[in-house]
Amino acid sequence: MSMSFGETAQTNGTDCFAISVVFKEGKLGRSWKQAGTTSEFLGEIVATQSARSGLVYSEARHAIIYLVNELLENAIKFCSPGDVEVRCSLANSTFELAVINMISPERIPGLQMLIEELTTRDPGDLLLERIEANAADETSSASGLGILTLMNDYGARMGWHFSDAPTGGASVLRTQASLSLT
Amino acid sequence: MEIKTGEYNIWIEGAIIHYEGTLRLSGTDAYQEILSLMQTVLEQQPPMITLDLTQLEFLNSSGINLLAKFTIELRKHPEMAVKVLGSTRIPWQSKSLPNLQKLHKGVELVIN
Repeated sequence: MSMSFGETAQTNGTDCFAISVVFKEGKLGRSWKQAGTTSEFLGEIVATQSARSGLVYSEARHAIIYLVNELLENAIKFCSPGDVEVRCSLANSTFELAVINMISPERIPGLQMLIEELTTRDPGDLLLERIEANAADETSSASGLGILTLMNDYGARMGWHFSDAPTGGASVLRTQASLSLT
Repeated sequence: MEIKTGEYNIWIEGAIIHYEGTLRLSGTDAYQEILSLMQTVLEQQPPMITLDLTQLEFLNSSGINLLAKFTIELRKHPEMAVKVLGSTRIPWQSKSLPNLQKLHKGVELVIN
């Protein structure tokens, strides 16, 4: 099985500025703090590079930190056991991010339904609708709000790719985001 | 009344709620303590309530949802003026705070 949703075509070439972080499965474990420290680290490195191309360092740094943090928080919250990889690249003013993690097959139908909504509705309308629904229902998980802020507030273009893991069992989810830094 | 940790501080002065630092807690439940603190100000029914975010460097989407949820609660009190203070120095504020005005037309948003 291999399925793609949203904008999965990434344009930054192999010769561009790129950096990856891999959390290997094992004794390291997953902690919430890893999302914050990793996003700060990557934001600092990529924004320093972007400033060399004349982009505003503080704006680029913040946008990258927010983007990486949101996707990595999701991965930490919802992943099945396995490596979690964060890939960042920068070419001209385009920042591209991919977060790759394992996901339980049982989670896929629910996630695909959410993605269907995220990719077919206006993100601004859907964001307000979700916030209202979440405020009205204490048990609501507010799922998708983070992605909606990325799409609506930051103009991020999102993509999702599902594929079978080579070892069977869980599936591989690649969540992608592309952002024009200005 | 205040919540102070190494990463973030939240405290109340009259009907002004101040936020400082970096807030990236893990979800709605983790933000409950902060929401409860904010609600204590609302319960006093002041004529105006102010959220001072000018020192809040980072807020994750769960935290943005907390502000949105509180704004919806404030909407139920049309007699209460609401001011949200932000800073142009902190990029997330110009991007995400205008959503609060869409939820509650009475919010006066000041980003300097």
